[in-house]
Amino acid sequence: MGAETVGAKTRNRWKLSLDTWAVLVAFLLALLVRTGVFKHIPW
Amino acid sequence: MADVITVPQVQPVQPALRFLRVIPGVLLLAAVGYAGKLLEQNVGAYAKAHHWTFPNIEYVLWAIVLGLVISNTVGIPEIVRTGVATYEFWLKAGIVLLGSRFLLGDILKLGGVSLVLVAIEIAGSLAFMTFLGRLFKLKPKLTTLLAVGSAVCGVSAIIATKGAIEADDEDSSFSIAAILALGALALFTFPLIGHALHLSDRAYGLWAGLGVDNTAEATAAGALYSDAAGKLAVLVKSTRNAMIGFVVLAYAIYWASQGQAKAVGNKAAFLWQKFPKFVLGFLLISVLATYHFFNKDQVGALANLSRWAFLLTFAGVGLRTNFSEMRKQGLRPFAVGAIGEVVIAGFTLALVYGASKIFGW
Repeated sequence: MGAETVGAKTRNRWKLSLDTWAVLVAFLLALLVRTGVFKHIPW
Repeated sequence: MADVITVPQVQPVQPALRFLRVIPGVLLLAAVGYAGKLLEQNVGAYAKAHHWTFPNIEYVLWAIVLGLVISNTVGIPEIVRTGVATYEFWLKAGIVLLGSRFLLGDILKLGGVSLVLVAIEIAGSLAFMTFLGRLFKLKPKLTTLLAVGSAVCGVSAIIATKGAIEADDEDSSFSIAAILALGALALFTFPLIGHALHLSDRAYGLWAGLGVDNTAEATAAGALYSDAAGKLAVLVKSTRNAMIGFVVLAYAIYWASQGQAKAVGNKAAFLWQKFPKFVLGFLLISVLATYHFFNKDQVGALANLSRWAFLLTFAGVGLRTNFSEMRKQGLRPFAVGAIGEVVIAGFTLALVYGASKIFGW
């Protein structure tokens, strides 16, 4: 097993999926709304 | 050592550079989506001021149509492609934020009913698509991909299944093209049929969530009918998405037993890997909203954030739909997909009709 193979495997283990990123960003936005950083979001 | 893949040595792209690459496409999504919103407001007002009879066209449809026009006329330049592809990210973030508008009790009540309907829909669709694939003498793995795409959740399910059953790239391209083309058609036909049949918001939302394959198109088809129908379509579609791991696992085991795919080692880890995490995020935000973690104004703000995320999604649905590229994929898989979709749409409509009679919706 080459060093680059091990490296790629380790990198993939810590790589977050698109789904997980979407959830994290949504939760960050929800937290910013909850803490009052974003008070009003217009539509 | 079967799970170790030796990757070619490529220069890793810096995260900052990757972020910069996304910006032009996201700006295009925002511009197209916002133009759709402005058209909704101004075309209606202009028609009213000039005493014209003009249907109220929602921003959802404007954004999709604008995207379709750009994609199928001038095309999508290379510089914006990466950013346009983020529409799936905005879709999932939007669904998680939409969870704030659902109380847990509603989810359990509606989710319970939709879970039963989803189970029937998945079993019926898989069986029918497999039958059609055999009838049209499609390759067995192509049939599997089309069946999973129609029964569960469109492109994501096809990609997940492709890896698990070791299908060809060509087969997955065929299936994705067929599912996307049919999803684009469903966007325009579902609301028309819903209005023609005078379906209630609840019945229509259930139908869109059960009958439209891709999550983005199901969300858009629901939102085109009404806000309430859009909410329910997302809930039902998310229930379908939650089933993806089980269906892909079943196919992976089947193809491994035929000696044509790798055996699945840890089944629980496989299920977790395939499980759509945004469904968990949606549920968690809904739990927080149910227990008043957010006040009324904050729920309103989260709902608006969700709408902005969907605005980018709807623009992306139009921008990534290119009919000439779909035509290149060939007619037979498309014909199988089209026949299957029409039958599944009729079948799910009958299911919803039966449920609405039983539950008095």
